[in-house]
Amino acid sequence: MDRSTIWMIVAGLLNVGLVLLVAPFFQGVLRKVTARIQSRQGPPVRQPYFDLLKLLGKEDIESGETPAMQRFAVYLSLATVLTVACLLPMGFAAPMNGAGDVILLIYLLTLCGICTLLAGLAAGSTYSLVGISREMMGMITLEPLFAIAIIVGALHTGSLRLDTVLNGSVYATAGVPFSGLIMLVVILMSFQGFVQRVPFDISEAETELMEGPLMEYSGPKLALFKYAYMAKLVIYSTLFVALFVPWGSELAFPLGWLLFWGKVFVLVLLVTLVAATHARYRIDQAIRYFAGLLAIALVALVLASYGH
Amino acid sequence: MIAREMFEKFKARFGPLIDRADLPNDRRLFVFVDRSAVKYVCQHVFRELDARYVITIGADDRPFSGNFIVAHNFAFDKEHLLCSVLTQLPADDPKIDSITDMVPAASWAEREMRDLVGIEPVGHHYPKRLVLPDGWPEGNHPLRKDVAWNEVPAEFDPEREFHFDDPPEGCTVVPFGPFHPTLDEPAHFRLYVEGEMVRGCEYRGFMVHRGIEKLAESVMGYNDIPMLAERICGICGCVHNVAYVQAVEEAAALKPPPRAEYIRTIMLELERLHSHLLWTGLACHIVGFDTLFMQSFRIREPIMWMAEKISGNRKTYALCVVGGVRWEITPEIRGELRQTLDKLETEWRSVVAAVSRDRNIQKRTWGVGMADKDLVKEAGLIGPVARAAGVDIDCRRDHPYAAYDRVEFDVITEHGGDVWSRLLVRMREVFESIRIIRQCLDKMEPGPLQLEIKDELPIGRMGLSSVEAPRGESHHFVITGENNRPRRWRVRAPTYQNLQGVPRMIKDQQIADMTISLGSIDPCFSCTDRLETIDLRSGTTKIWAQEELLKLTRAKKA
Amino acid sequence: MSVLSKLEEALVCLKAGKVTLPYPAQAQPLPEKFRGRPIFDATKCIGCAGCANNCPAREILVVDLCQEVRILQYLGRRCTYCGRCAEVCPEKAITMSQEFENGTNAIHDLGQRLEIFMSTCQRCGRCFKEPSVLEQLKMKGYRFDDVQNERWIYRSRAFLEEEKTVDDIAIELD
Repeated sequence: MDRSTIWMIVAGLLNVGLVLLVAPFFQGVLRKVTARIQSRQGPPVRQPYFDLLKLLGKEDIESGETPAMQRFAVYLSLATVLTVACLLPMGFAAPMNGAGDVILLIYLLTLCGICTLLAGLAAGSTYSLVGISREMMGMITLEPLFAIAIIVGALHTGSLRLDTVLNGSVYATAGVPFSGLIMLVVILMSFQGFVQRVPFDISEAETELMEGPLMEYSGPKLALFKYAYMAKLVIYSTLFVALFVPWGSELAFPLGWLLFWGKVFVLVLLVTLVAATHARYRIDQAIRYFAGLLAIALVALVLASYGH
Repeated sequence: MIAREMFEKFKARFGPLIDRADLPNDRRLFVFVDRSAVKYVCQHVFRELDARYVITIGADDRPFSGNFIVAHNFAFDKEHLLCSVLTQLPADDPKIDSITDMVPAASWAEREMRDLVGIEPVGHHYPKRLVLPDGWPEGNHPLRKDVAWNEVPAEFDPEREFHFDDPPEGCTVVPFGPFHPTLDEPAHFRLYVEGEMVRGCEYRGFMVHRGIEKLAESVMGYNDIPMLAERICGICGCVHNVAYVQAVEEAAALKPPPRAEYIRTIMLELERLHSHLLWTGLACHIVGFDTLFMQSFRIREPIMWMAEKISGNRKTYALCVVGGVRWEITPEIRGELRQTLDKLETEWRSVVAAVSRDRNIQKRTWGVGMADKDLVKEAGLIGPVARAAGVDIDCRRDHPYAAYDRVEFDVITEHGGDVWSRLLVRMREVFESIRIIRQCLDKMEPGPLQLEIKDELPIGRMGLSSVEAPRGESHHFVITGENNRPRRWRVRAPTYQNLQGVPRMIKDQQIADMTISLGSIDPCFSCTDRLETIDLRSGTTKIWAQEELLKLTRAKKA
Repeated sequence: MSVLSKLEEALVCLKAGKVTLPYPAQAQPLPEKFRGRPIFDATKCIGCAGCANNCPAREILVVDLCQEVRILQYLGRRCTYCGRCAEVCPEKAITMSQEFENGTNAIHDLGQRLEIFMSTCQRCGRCFKEPSVLEQLKMKGYRFDDVQNERWIYRSRAFLEEEKTVDDIAIELD
């Protein structure tokens, strides 16, 4: 193996480690800020680390329909999220440049969503089945949005490589980047759905569905699911920043890296504020909302193919 | 005048069917009719005279008169009259015609009468067990006087299963409860679901049935029962406390001193404040809006502190004894109460202003859980549920008690009949409560807090009392008895009636709306299930080992 | 417009600041009239059993060991902290303290036992002049509650009995 391959692998693993380290921290920030908005003290920012440790130490009760499939779903969900982490640029260039391209990224993102479906199906209880039916309906209208954003970038730059596309490529037009701006607004308005927070955390609605797909999971399996959930927030935020807010990424190591994570932090705060000030929508209302956004995104796609 | 006029109407219409009538005061009417005429009389009262159905009560009066008694209570809200149609049943033949086909709201009350007193409602459309657990032996009716209050029936069958009805064609069953994160208390709604739409449901409740009525009739005295009554409910305890005491005072023709009446009014309104604020928070939590939930609770906390200053406890005020109240409102408390109310009013106004314009919450609550005027009449719905449908009823104005005849307030109504309207009604009632408390504080004169009761209370007299709880009308019926104990005490909590309307409210709606529809009646299951429980663990001697329990909870049940 | 109302709501929240109280790290002040655990003062008690007769939860047991000695046992299990005992006591021997953190592994910690020497008139010393005529069950005379099994026996007699039956549940008055 030559140096570049070794470097690729090491960089990928570094990314994974960074995501694992930082995801509970962002979750802790989200909980703390939510608490302050609700006039209360809130848990300490490092609480999610303790929660995960506690869950990992608990007894693993296999109570669903198909325990083998449940185990598979758990590992798959965390694994897909971490694989996406290997592909994304997190303050540096994208690690595995030659190994993959944006089509792989789109597929992996969709696979993340499918893991929840697998989880609910494997559990097999009434509430999880209702939860995954909602999730399926939501995914049909939601997942294409990010895919369209990435494709718009690919159309503008004419390449499918990760480092070219994930570098603000949506704005790479001559003149005013209409499609880029439209996609920026569309993704901002649907971002809560991707990271599964209020008002779009419909499949895990605690008060309606008793946690839906995650119902029959406990102990270590639940810990890994929660970890995947926290990591998704980080992954989607970095993807958003890389695609839509690329300015400053050319700066040298400490500054550029810090600026990148600063942007991600601001995005997480935005997610928190929206989550704290909204009620949850019903699935039919959410689907109509996303379908509307999908129509607008298709308009942007058409514009992009004409070079705008 | 009013009672006499109504009685004249009855006499004109029914004449010879009436055995006896009691008009203890101007607002109460007790009419004894022959048992064959009960259905006819009730139909006339409910349909032609347009009264509101309140409750049906069965009582075992055999040790005293040799008969069973059945009472159907109705309320004439516009005429400010509470009326009871009674009949006596011979001890060997406790059967009576069911009035449920005429008065659909009587469904549960008759089933309860059947379970607990053993009076058979002939012709009831759904005579399934309501209150008693499944393994309870037949023929053992706990509220009968020959059954001891702590008897554990030897023939109790812990293995007997409950038979659920079959769902209609094409529907799957989604169980909602008995354990569910939204509900604080157990209730089992078996939803028949087609896709995401609810097509019907079967309700099974009475899981926290505690034996309150039997206890009160067996081993407690008049002044012990208020402490028991306020524990019927976890939020609206003061209401039951006051309602019971008022029923006894009415039966014994006692009038508490005016200062006591004002203090009762103030505490009742304080309770309404904290209950409505709690409900608003809970409703927002159900739709996923936790921030407003936290804020409602923050705004509500000073009320709890005030209640603790006045009565010594945040919720169980232990306020009344027969003939008066136990706690005084001193001038310092008065000053603090005014300050708390001012602050509460300012903060709540900003919350109401923000929520009224919030499209996000409106989208989740518009058109959900519809209860129109017809359902209100048929199912006998009360409280904010009825007022949100445009039906203008409020016991504080229609059947005045305590000091409500001396204060001015508006009754808030809306016209939507959905959850959004109920939200608006409850939010605005907070301001009316604050207004009432302020008026009471201004109008209160110094005076004694309790009556001097020199004679024993008369025996065998009936008292009715309707108090407006935050959830609706709470109705108590008392027959006084020997040894300083009542012969019969019946509590009808508002959720008892409102729950009977829930299956119609959730029909043809989505599952996601089920919780908020149920939550919008402000259910208080502990109020509803306040009858019997005998501690089964002392009767049966099965000891569950941990492995057995774990296996039981994890086993798949059909 | 929804965005404006959301901003208004956010303003309401932020104006309030942080309201979490540091309990149990710091004790919070209680109002004067707070009804906590009742404390029985044996030096003031005259053994009239008014508290036992008026306790809605029947948590105070009374048993006469002999002519001169009466035991009053407050169990503290189902006590509802209603304060009727303190209200009714003619000697103000019961105070509703401010203790509410009463959780314990051994329920006997909450019990209070008073052993009273009943002097003067052996018959009238057991009578209780009730505050109002609505007294519970009119239990006068000698009492036989079962302290070992922690049960009330609804029976009172004008004379001491040798045998104390523990299965009585029907109410018998002399």
